[in-house]
Amino acid sequence: MIEFEGAEVRYPGGVRALQGVDLRIDDGELIVVVGLSGAGKSTLIRAINGLVPLTSGRVTVGERTLPGLDRRALRELRAQVGMIFQSFNLVSRSTVLNNVLMGRLHHVPLWRSLSGLYRAQDRELAMEALELVEIVEKAYVRAGNLSGGQQQRVGIARALAQQPSVLLADEPVASLDPPTSHVVMRYLQQINRELGITTLINLHFLDLARAYADRVIGLRDGRLVYDGPAAQADEAVFEEIYGRSLTADDVLEGQGGL
Amino acid sequence: MTRASVRGSGARAAAQVRPERPFARFRWTVTVVLLALLAWSTWSVDATWGRLLQAPGRAVGFVGTLVETASLEPLGVALEAMWESIAIAWIATLLGAALSFPLVFLAAANLTRSRVRQPVRQVLNVFRAIPEIVLAIALIPFLGLGPVTGAVAMGISSIGTLGKLSAEIVESIDDGPLQAVEASGGGRLERLRWAVLPQAMPEIAAFWLYRFEINIRVSAVLGVIGIGGIGGFIAQAVERNVFERIGLGLLVVILATMLVDAISSRLRRRLIEGPSPAAQARRERASTGGGPTGDDAA
Amino acid sequence: MSGEASVDRERGRTEPAGRQVRPRKPPPQPFTILGLAGLVAFTLVTAWDWALGIGFDPLALPGELADSNPAMVEGLFNVTDADWRAQYVELLRTHFTDPDSPWPLSLDSRIGGGLVETVQIAVLATIVGAALSLPLAVLNARLGAPDRVTHAVVKALNNVNRAIPDVIWAALFVVLVGVGALPGILALTMFTIGVVVKLTSDVVDGIDRGPIEAARAAGASHAAAMRTALVPQILPAYASFSLYAFELNLRGAAVLGFVGAGGIGQAMSYYWSQLDFEAVSVIVFVYLVLVIVVEQVSISIRRRLG
Repeated sequence: MIEFEGAEVRYPGGVRALQGVDLRIDDGELIVVVGLSGAGKSTLIRAINGLVPLTSGRVTVGERTLPGLDRRALRELRAQVGMIFQSFNLVSRSTVLNNVLMGRLHHVPLWRSLSGLYRAQDRELAMEALELVEIVEKAYVRAGNLSGGQQQRVGIARALAQQPSVLLADEPVASLDPPTSHVVMRYLQQINRELGITTLINLHFLDLARAYADRVIGLRDGRLVYDGPAAQADEAVFEEIYGRSLTADDVLEGQGGL
Repeated sequence: MTRASVRGSGARAAAQVRPERPFARFRWTVTVVLLALLAWSTWSVDATWGRLLQAPGRAVGFVGTLVETASLEPLGVALEAMWESIAIAWIATLLGAALSFPLVFLAAANLTRSRVRQPVRQVLNVFRAIPEIVLAIALIPFLGLGPVTGAVAMGISSIGTLGKLSAEIVESIDDGPLQAVEASGGGRLERLRWAVLPQAMPEIAAFWLYRFEINIRVSAVLGVIGIGGIGGFIAQAVERNVFERIGLGLLVVILATMLVDAISSRLRRRLIEGPSPAAQARRERASTGGGPTGDDAA
Repeated sequence: MSGEASVDRERGRTEPAGRQVRPRKPPPQPFTILGLAGLVAFTLVTAWDWALGIGFDPLALPGELADSNPAMVEGLFNVTDADWRAQYVELLRTHFTDPDSPWPLSLDSRIGGGLVETVQIAVLATIVGAALSLPLAVLNARLGAPDRVTHAVVKALNNVNRAIPDVIWAALFVVLVGVGALPGILALTMFTIGVVVKLTSDVVDGIDRGPIEAARAAGASHAAAMRTALVPQILPAYASFSLYAFELNLRGAAVLGFVGAGGIGQAMSYYWSQLDFEAVSVIVFVYLVLVIVVEQVSISIRRRLG
């Protein structure tokens, strides 16, 4: 379970990225967070694993509560929360397998990660994670040689190798074309269904949000302005969240080229 | 804590084939070659490795003596020697800059055709390859052993790097202005003056300054063969166990080198990035006549 | 000026010219004036023949070059003389062959041994120095250091290290471990660290930070994050700089012998003190060939590293 209580984030420049957010997420939910860019979606997600510290309020993830964790406890929290990034954040010069093994870093003794001599069981977990996103045949290929969609699947595998109980995805399809976007979203949905991992996904395409989410959360100017089932999130709701009428840029199918 | 597997992978895993771990030939080759070189050098070199163990103890004693004998008395001589090293480095840099400058444009691919460019590049490479000490020794029959010999040797040796890297800077300039000058009827020299220099000069000058920083170190090194400067000063002090000179000489060379580095790197940044926004705004106010003698319509 | 006039005519004064103000030509920037004046003054002071200058006269230089020491020229490079060339080849043979040995090349002479030792010193210093440099380069970059204090300390220490010329390190290590190849190896190790750490850590600032964020998000410790997300990105540059350091070490190793730290410089200073300029010439020649060959090999490897 994840719980936000009066969560606030104020950046050094004075920008208030999150304001008084109260939110409760149950285990196994698939939640899509929508909002314009700058509405606080990234901040909300990064507050869960402490990449962005709260300036007031609390976030509880399982039995750990931020802020107030020491470095070790914070790393333990992060180890149980997998993260997927818009720009994949793979080491392009390393092999796919070595990238996925980064998901094991918390569980691996330092001398093993420094020398690159991972245990067989960690390699096995990494291989299984690659099999889940059906890209295991690329295990020894350099990550930089893969297409965008393939790289994002490796990104998902890296998060899965953590054996997480929560999965955070920050605009996972924003760098991908529409067909590939659906492929990636389907993997995230399958993982949520089959493994029961609580999943939060930031998106700005409302059709994707409606197609894959159980529950939609809307943010505007750092405030929670919508929280309800995806089925009820119609265009009027999105116009309310965005604070303007919808355009072709707001739907994936409206994207040019295809 | 580690569970045996990432759960639920059964169905999909069955259809996929895991690849064999490929043999990392490049990595193994590098490792084997490096280990072989290391082993050969370690066994066969004439080094008494056991003395490494005494070194820390001796270092403590040595530093202790340096502190005990610390004295400002030789400061004048040390500063004089340091100044001489800086002077040698400066003259060498100017010499290298002046001698390499014409070659830069002959070595740049966007200005000179390859029939001329390739030989010039080769000449630059030769200058780059010759160690300063070799040049210095070759010059001794003509110039004797002194600071001028060092400056000329380092100047000639600087031609190679200065020429090559400056040519690379010239090659990286924007092509547009070159074509513009050509289109308005400018010849080779006009192109150089109005299209190439404005774009490349700040970086080239910054690179000269960088070479100056390097040359200070080189001039200190050449000091030990007798061209003068701080290198010879410290080496002689070490040879004769004049501890107050060793300590002070080290202090002077460290502080002076770091000081010159700091000044030079600040100048280089200023050269490449131009004046700070604040200074730029001040100048604009001054030139558009915002001051008391302002002549604008308002 | 005439150009501007014609432009005005073309425009035909359709625009209200009164609105626009032509700026005066701005005065040269203070930086330019002061900089140029400073450079000229500094040059005059350092070049003049007085207490603060080295007495460098570019006009007299050609004359001085023409007026040489015949004995030294005779010894070092009298290449136009056929007898001298024959004698030179003979000298190379005596220094690099051994009648008792079955091999066509022998490196047992003072010169041959010095060359081998120079290579060994450069090899050991480069491998040891480069190995130590990788973690130090990470710490020397703001992004790579775990905290500000570590970063500041490592950076300050390396700046001090870089300010000490390699030959001074050599002289100091001669005091600590005695004469021979060991102080030379240690001195060039310090030099290698200075070069490789500086150049490599400059690369760190330009890398992709995404993977580091990913490693942190996975709960990795700082050290593990740096090793897996940062090091692979800087590895090609690091390898290239290490090879470059090897080239520099091979050149630097020649001077070490003058302070008793081994290598070819020892033979050089020995024959120099014997006024045996032919031998000095042989050393310089063979050493130059070695440096050029190694540099060509190194450059071709570095090109492959991209």
